[in-house]
Amino acid sequence: MESNLDKPTVSIITKYFKELVEENAAKKGMPDLRFTFVKSPVWGKTAEQLRKDVVEGTDPVTGKPVMQEIVAELTTPLSSKDTATRTVAQSAGPQHFGPDTAENLQRLFEDKGMTDHLPIVLPTEEKVDAMLKGTSHKPDEVVGKISPTPGVYEYWSYTVRQVAVNAVMAGADPKDFPVILAIAAAGKESISSSDNSFAEAVVINGPIRDEIGLNYGIGALGPFSHANATIGRAYTLLSINGGNCGKVGETYMGVIGNPANYANIVIAENEKDSPWKPFSVRHGFKPDESVVSIFEGWGVISAKNSKFAVWQKDMNFAEELKNILNDQDGLFGGVAILSPAVANYVKEEGYDTVDKLTDWLYKSPDEATPHFRSPRQINVLVTGSSNNLYWDYGGMRYVKSVSVDKWR
Amino acid sequence: MKIRFAAFLIALLCLSVWPCDQVQANGAKKSNPGTIVGPKFTVMSPMGIPPAIKTLAMAPRLNTLDGKTIYIVDDGFVGGDVLLKEMAAWFSRNMPSVNVVYRRKAGAFEAEDPPLWAEIKAKGDAVIMGVGH
Repeated sequence: MESNLDKPTVSIITKYFKELVEENAAKKGMPDLRFTFVKSPVWGKTAEQLRKDVVEGTDPVTGKPVMQEIVAELTTPLSSKDTATRTVAQSAGPQHFGPDTAENLQRLFEDKGMTDHLPIVLPTEEKVDAMLKGTSHKPDEVVGKISPTPGVYEYWSYTVRQVAVNAVMAGADPKDFPVILAIAAAGKESISSSDNSFAEAVVINGPIRDEIGLNYGIGALGPFSHANATIGRAYTLLSINGGNCGKVGETYMGVIGNPANYANIVIAENEKDSPWKPFSVRHGFKPDESVVSIFEGWGVISAKNSKFAVWQKDMNFAEELKNILNDQDGLFGGVAILSPAVANYVKEEGYDTVDKLTDWLYKSPDEATPHFRSPRQINVLVTGSSNNLYWDYGGMRYVKSVSVDKWR
Repeated sequence: MKIRFAAFLIALLCLSVWPCDQVQANGAKKSNPGTIVGPKFTVMSPMGIPPAIKTLAMAPRLNTLDGKTIYIVDDGFVGGDVLLKEMAAWFSRNMPSVNVVYRRKAGAFEAEDPPLWAEIKAKGDAVIMGVGH
């Protein structure tokens, strides 16, 4: 704004975001952009409280009176550094680390913020070369780019080789690599910078599921398959290292954090037992195409947690879905992850396509203003086993789909 | 003979306590008591490629705020309007020669507001923007 409008500007920022805004200002080309920091929180305070504590108070970072500091920042002359323009190359550090012992390298990677604070598989050249055999694409090909929050932070890009390094670290096998590359190509961060503590889900359809041993039976969303676990973890590590995400205080401000960030929510659909077409097919792909689809939002939870999950002899699952989904925030929309048994009950209730179901779910009971902005804000997936009538739901929205086959 | 044998025994005794590398069953070497030195590896960096930064010139500062027009721009953060209006009131009380214009920016926090930017460019001398969370 200061550059575009050529007007001296000072930004008012709450104190917890100091490192973030200073880092961001530097990355956007104005390392000495002027800020005044104020006490947090600002919301929930009365005018009188804000007048006494903030306006007539001091900047908690500098100790200077707030308003006098603002006046000074608009009137104190610039230095020559503030008016210089040039291009500065950035480096993400050396291409290799070592030689050193495994123990020291583990500690180095963790100290440099390149891990999820769990032990990694050390990415030796031999292991990375083996991973690269999982794709026909050249190692130096740029796969995509990620930003901790697009429009706010810069994008970092990454090559096939760099994705392979993160895949090795996650413990993935070469057979999993095309899926990881497809996720990388989607260019969606798995760890958003937002203080909301968002989560990402990866939905996988097509033949690749059985080829690499993805679990879509009992425990489909849990840590019960090597492929599920390592693909999800690779997504997180790539976001941290390839996209500069997850740097606490700089590119990550999640107030509470989200446990789903460890390995994301990896959902291989149970296409065999689902009464409906796979998610990817409903979005224009062929049944024999392998596809990953990215979702973003708050996460998922068992529907049994809801007061609307009423167990009775004659269940009405569609009604239960409507009550539960309409009870959640409408920002992201709703996703329902049905076990095949529940999905088949819903179909028997008269919804032989997902579109019929979501059209009905979208309409409010009294035909007044719907809860969601459109039926397409409601998504339905099928996975898991049929050993009981459970299902999950969450505030998550569909972002995009990417072909896995392109990355074989 | 006895002297040679004694020398041999002494040498044997010295070797057993000399702090030299000892190879353990797992192949790791123990160089000093309590220190294990394992095989060494070279590994590849997982880091992506950051973009180059083009530095931008900041806008020249004002000699004084007296008689100037300052836009106080509210980005919509909850409670920001209350704080920013109190800041505007402070100017009224303490620097009445400053013309303060409060505006709520359109859209979400990060959204651009071209009509407002055009207004500021035409009529404003400085900007106070808040609140960044």
